[in-house]
Amino acid sequence: MSVSNSDLSSSKGRKGSRSSVTRRTFLKVSALTGAAVAASRIIKYPEISPLASAQASTEGVITEKWINTSCLNCPTRCATQVRVVNGKAVKILGNPLSEVSEGEICPRGHIGLQVLYDPGRVSGPLKRTNPVKGRGVDPDWIPISWSQALGEVSARLKSLRDKAQPHKLLLLHGLNTISNEDMIHRFADAYGTPNVISGDALENEAEKSGRWMADGNYSHVAYDFGQTNYLLSFGASIIESEKPLARNLRMWGKIRRERPTRAKVVVIDPRYSVTAAKADQWIPINPGTDGALAMAIANVIISEGLYDAEFVRNWTSGFDEYKELALNYYSPEKMATVTGIDADITRQIAREFAQTKPAIAWIGRGVAGWPNGSYNSYAIFCLNALVGSIDAPGGVIYQEDPKYRDMPEPVEDDAAKGGKAKPRLDFRKTSLFPSAEVVTNQVADSILNGDPYSVEMAIGFNSNFNMSAPGTWRWDEALKKVPYYVHIAPFISEMAEYADIILPASTFLEEWAYDHSPPGSGFAEAKLKQPVVEPLHDTRGITDIIFEIAGRLGGTAAQSFDGIGGDAQGFVRYRTGTIVPWQEFREKGIWVGPAYQYHKYDHIFNTPSKKFEFYSGNLEKALKKTGQVGGRLACLPHYKEAEFLGDRGGYPLVLSTYQPLLNIENGNQNYPWAQEIFLVMHGVGWTNFVEINSQTARFLGIRDRDTVWVESPFNRIKVRARVIEGIHPQVVSIAYGQGHYADGRWQKGIGVNPNEIIGVSYDQLSGQSSLFNTRVKVYRA
Amino acid sequence: MAKWGMVIDLDKCAGCQACTVACKEENSVPHGSPQEQGQRREIYWNRVIAVSKGEYPTVRVEFIPIPCMHCEDAPCVTVCPAKATYRRDDGIVIQDFRRCIGCRYCIVACPYGVRGFNFKDQTEEEYHRPDLPPTRADRGPWPFPQRIRGVVEKCTFCFHRIDQGLKEGKKIGVDVVPACVEACPTKARTFGDLDDPDSEVSRLLATRGSFRLREELSTHPKVYYLHG
Repeated sequence: MSVSNSDLSSSKGRKGSRSSVTRRTFLKVSALTGAAVAASRIIKYPEISPLASAQASTEGVITEKWINTSCLNCPTRCATQVRVVNGKAVKILGNPLSEVSEGEICPRGHIGLQVLYDPGRVSGPLKRTNPVKGRGVDPDWIPISWSQALGEVSARLKSLRDKAQPHKLLLLHGLNTISNEDMIHRFADAYGTPNVISGDALENEAEKSGRWMADGNYSHVAYDFGQTNYLLSFGASIIESEKPLARNLRMWGKIRRERPTRAKVVVIDPRYSVTAAKADQWIPINPGTDGALAMAIANVIISEGLYDAEFVRNWTSGFDEYKELALNYYSPEKMATVTGIDADITRQIAREFAQTKPAIAWIGRGVAGWPNGSYNSYAIFCLNALVGSIDAPGGVIYQEDPKYRDMPEPVEDDAAKGGKAKPRLDFRKTSLFPSAEVVTNQVADSILNGDPYSVEMAIGFNSNFNMSAPGTWRWDEALKKVPYYVHIAPFISEMAEYADIILPASTFLEEWAYDHSPPGSGFAEAKLKQPVVEPLHDTRGITDIIFEIAGRLGGTAAQSFDGIGGDAQGFVRYRTGTIVPWQEFREKGIWVGPAYQYHKYDHIFNTPSKKFEFYSGNLEKALKKTGQVGGRLACLPHYKEAEFLGDRGGYPLVLSTYQPLLNIENGNQNYPWAQEIFLVMHGVGWTNFVEINSQTARFLGIRDRDTVWVESPFNRIKVRARVIEGIHPQVVSIAYGQGHYADGRWQKGIGVNPNEIIGVSYDQLSGQSSLFNTRVKVYRA
Repeated sequence: MAKWGMVIDLDKCAGCQACTVACKEENSVPHGSPQEQGQRREIYWNRVIAVSKGEYPTVRVEFIPIPCMHCEDAPCVTVCPAKATYRRDDGIVIQDFRRCIGCRYCIVACPYGVRGFNFKDQTEEEYHRPDLPPTRADRGPWPFPQRIRGVVEKCTFCFHRIDQGLKEGKKIGVDVVPACVEACPTKARTFGDLDDPDSEVSRLLATRGSFRLREELSTHPKVYYLHG
């Protein structure tokens, strides 16, 4: 990268009445040529001007540069520009070249500064000296060198492999860059473990599975939201937590007031979310019954002949069976007793949805995190096909991702082949979870039961399942049981407290990576991460750590990492070399793919019929493969009553949870800017509440701000109550993001974590953890 | 002389609070703590409030971003005994730290609650901007980040950006806007010259129904809201 120093100087005379100091400043702007030129052209920022240098003088040299990189405070991974003054990052903005977020970022992006300068970061490798592990037990960390830390970790890995038990290594990962994820998977392949467990099954796996039943693509749904005219959200907090968030916010502005037609938004959710507040209509629904509503809407659309007959005839299969099911069993009147929604309202939204084109039915987290999550998602997804909103402008679109350079196959020896042939710890794609790609929460129980085998060593990459998974207590016990645990992250999380070794990772503002956003835009966009400052502490990027460990292991493990760049920067350069010249990538921080093409019906359906399926051939195959007999109904979208944990008599309320926008998704919340304005709906920060309907509260004798117990069949937590109007009377809700107890001045001891009382159950197809089906009782403490 | 004003579209605003965070980032406004929030001692130059109405299930919550209104008849200016708060020729209401005696009369007088008091010496953070802002030849340098204990502070409409932009011949409201406007991902905020009929703010006010907060007080705020 060529660097030029353009001396743009400026100064100011300062005469203080309180202080007599005259401060003068000489501004010297040194900038990466391209980035600086790009920045000055496109940002709305007052630049330091040569004009001001007329009165210039010389005290204090200031160097300024803008660096194009990207965010990792949530999986959206927005392209950003960071202003670095005197070697310190002082401002983060969206990169105007990004077409995914159209140059915008959400508040989380700005908070990157507090992630970088978090006082709670780990400054060098740590080793545990207290052999006793447990919640609240001080690990008695001692600092050690990188060479000692990597030596110990590699020796452990080596001995496990030498014993021909590489499958007993468990790799866990939370939110990582795409390049770090690629390295983690490659390491697993080269080492020989089938056990790479992401946190995805704590989020929206059932959405993927429901969508896969219909069109064969196991991924999140992308909605062409900026062009839609009618948005029907099923439990989707579109402008709070659904990804890609910054794009959603940008599109929200667009569909409201930047087009000739203002789109209508209807939100179905037991909780009055921020999205519901900004919508045109909020329809509270009985918890867990969204599948019934979707089928009732289908009933209206089909019976009134409002569906897109041409699309259904040409590009779908199984319609007759679906039609018969919808018409015979799902009248709006019948479903009203299930959903609690008047038949008239169901008819109204069904007609609007079918007659306002284009329209979108959006599968939210609120409908996926249920034991019937896959079927809820399937039923909702089918509504999009009914009205012809498949691969059409303003409808569902098919996400393209950057095609990074293919890596050579990893070199596998017998140990690696043997290890990878072992069953997986999470039982994915077995009779337990036939369509699952990952079953995060199952792993704690597999460790505890030693089933299908014991775990000898685990490595966590930015994971914090002791906080983020329902039934947290099982992860506490499981981590206690793992003989050797290595935690790799920038800070000490709850999970890190169980580590034998902590390897401090660099933050996303100090490392090299490539990234792309989750489905949303349709077209592909690759984003670069490049260090904006020198690492503040003795930390390393995850890719560099893996290269180092693989090298120390030697043999085929090391060979598998030959020729792919050698270090993090080289790896990013190697992988992205096929899509964008390195110099250009560094300057722009972004590569945008070709414009999206609609109506690709001949190759988007990965189903047996090569069409959109109202009767799922994919599911039929998966069920057969895992030896199950489902019957016809199992392969059709339908409403299956959700199973709740806890009996209605003892636990009359249903506990719901949500992610506020200022819940930073890296497993940490030690960020004052996020904490102080945490709950916009309640105008407060530094806490969370159990939110309860005013009628229910009156009945229970609970007043606003009372301290109460929220008790499930599994555990209870003490929290303050917030008595509100915007929640279903049978539901209480607690925001995620608080309840940290390990470390961090700005988070420790603040609020509660609802996962401490949520029980463990799954969507039986996708392995998605059920998040909303635990019953509770609430009483004054 | 331009008359700077802001228009906030409540239909587009998504309550995300990017404005609140970006303002702190731009102006090195100190963050608070749980204790300070409990004592209502935090400082925000911009915040987003939620106003609830109705009963389940016909509840309605409206999010309203609140910067300083830069009133044409500003009570804070009227009451300030030290002339620490004054209105510039372009209508921006400024707080001069060097004149402020910390009496907090202005905080009582402001009908919008947009002023904050430094109850303590504030911590310098590593991410605070170390560079000094552009010179304001008329009134001396900008007062930040040299806030000290005992002074009041508030939103400036990012006058440092405006002054610099004008000096460079840039179009205010198009090329140069306050940090909260720049950061808004829904583009709910627009800034510009209320006296210029061709400005975007004037155009929006001409085409949409708008209101100002507590208009009955005749403070003549220069922040307008478009109906949600």
